[in-house]
Amino acid sequence: MSAFTSRDQAAAVFTQLFEILLEDDAFAATVRSQRLSVLFVHSSPDLTVFVDADGVRVDAAPHAPVLSIKMSCDDADALWAGRLLLPVALATRRIRVKGRVSQVLEFVPLLQPAFDRYPAIAASAGVTTAA
Amino acid sequence: MTQQLNGHDLLREEPETPTLTTLPSEIVALRDLVRSWVRERVAPAVRRLDAADAADFDWDLVREGHDLGLTRLVVPQQFGGAGHGIFGVAVALEELAAVDAGLALAFGATMLGQAPVLLSGDPRLQARFLPLFSGDDPVLACNAITEDLAGCDLLIPENAGLAQDVMSAHRDGDHYVLNGSKRFITNGKVATYATVFANMEGHPGATGLTCFVVMLESPGVTLGEVADKMGYRSCLGTELHFAGVRVPVDNVVGGEGDGVHVNIQQMNMARAAVAAISTGVARGALDQAVAWAGDRVQGGVPLRQHQFTARKLAEMAAKVEAARGLYLKAAYLADNEIPAPAFEPAVAKLFADRIAIEVATEAMGLMGARGYLRDHGMEKRLRDALGARIYEGTPEVLALAITESLYTDDDDF
Repeated sequence: MSAFTSRDQAAAVFTQLFEILLEDDAFAATVRSQRLSVLFVHSSPDLTVFVDADGVRVDAAPHAPVLSIKMSCDDADALWAGRLLLPVALATRRIRVKGRVSQVLEFVPLLQPAFDRYPAIAASAGVTTAA
Repeated sequence: MTQQLNGHDLLREEPETPTLTTLPSEIVALRDLVRSWVRERVAPAVRRLDAADAADFDWDLVREGHDLGLTRLVVPQQFGGAGHGIFGVAVALEELAAVDAGLALAFGATMLGQAPVLLSGDPRLQARFLPLFSGDDPVLACNAITEDLAGCDLLIPENAGLAQDVMSAHRDGDHYVLNGSKRFITNGKVATYATVFANMEGHPGATGLTCFVVMLESPGVTLGEVADKMGYRSCLGTELHFAGVRVPVDNVVGGEGDGVHVNIQQMNMARAAVAAISTGVARGALDQAVAWAGDRVQGGVPLRQHQFTARKLAEMAAKVEAARGLYLKAAYLADNEIPAPAFEPAVAKLFADRIAIEVATEAMGLMGARGYLRDHGMEKRLRDALGARIYEGTPEVLALAITESLYTDDDDF
């Protein structure tokens, strides 16, 4: 069974997640100073989430992203919920990243607030498999 | 020279993107710096390094390389490194290997020991180990995976369950305890730490493979025999023995049982760099053959004016150019995709390893009797060329990786 019952549900959860992330001082400062933009390419259901200093956009990318991260919505749910470890997901190609590796390695630790907040966001949105 | 060797020139500020025909300016600067150093300082020492006892190691040259930044090319600038990716490493290694493949591998193996710490994405692990390479004194690392009974069985995930007598690990409070031995570990004798792969007890074969960062001064670590190798004699391949070695839980890379994943990523990165080493060996042989064929007169004209010799030189040059193109592409992709692709690095290494042997063989033949003499150094290039077919994936292992990719739709992203 899929974690998300609809595309709209997934879009709402990820939008809220990244809007919270943009409120984090360290994340926002890095995004601004490095002109960082990230495109999350999700499948099943299919949607893209574009994040940069100007905000979060679903299915709209105003310019080419610095980093692109591809994963299924179920894997995204497992990742943010802490059930799927990033090194394992990357090595098994369940998550794929395009962009300068050095920038990715700097970016990953900044995502911690998303890991912290996701379970509550997912639970309140009715996502079924979030831990 | 001292000022030229200053690491500042190596720092990568705002990287440019390579094109099909140009290298970014900071990579050109790095290449030229390394080329100048190896020609001036390493080339005069090559014969001595090759003839030395198997266990001898030239710390003076390594120190000069360290001053140049070669021990920390991939270490991020925030930890005092040069902040290059595999692309920069590969270009530097070609220059080193064109003169001495062994020295190239000593620096390359250090990058291999740094890779799991980098790839872990764990800022605490990175902050503890990566600054080690930015001090005044040279520090080397190594990667310890190969064992007496397990080589490819630790590299091919499908073989993991069949691996025999793999080094073991078990949890004991806030430590893991490691027991077992590793073989043919490049830099094992001279490294400060090793990334060590051991199987968690209770998991068959190597299905519980886990990566640990182990300081080699830890109680219970002993060094075994240094392998007396045919080539690559300026770097040391050593046995490492672990008897009840206690490693803090914080030194695990990834997590328990994730060693195979760490290793796959590390290999895909490393193969582009090893392809660059083989390309460097081939280029060194080509350069020497070109010089010889330009000077040596037979039949009243230089050898290069003989049509058959010209054809050989042209074929050798084409092979070196092609090998360089393949490793640059593989290295660029390895710097811009996570996980690093399997296909391009394996193709680059398979091709470069093969043509290094072909080019060195042709170059040796072209030099006649002198090519066979130790004095002229060509026979050493051939011995070195043969070595790269063994480490970081034999042609057979590479063929499995390449063929798997041919059957996998990988272009959807």
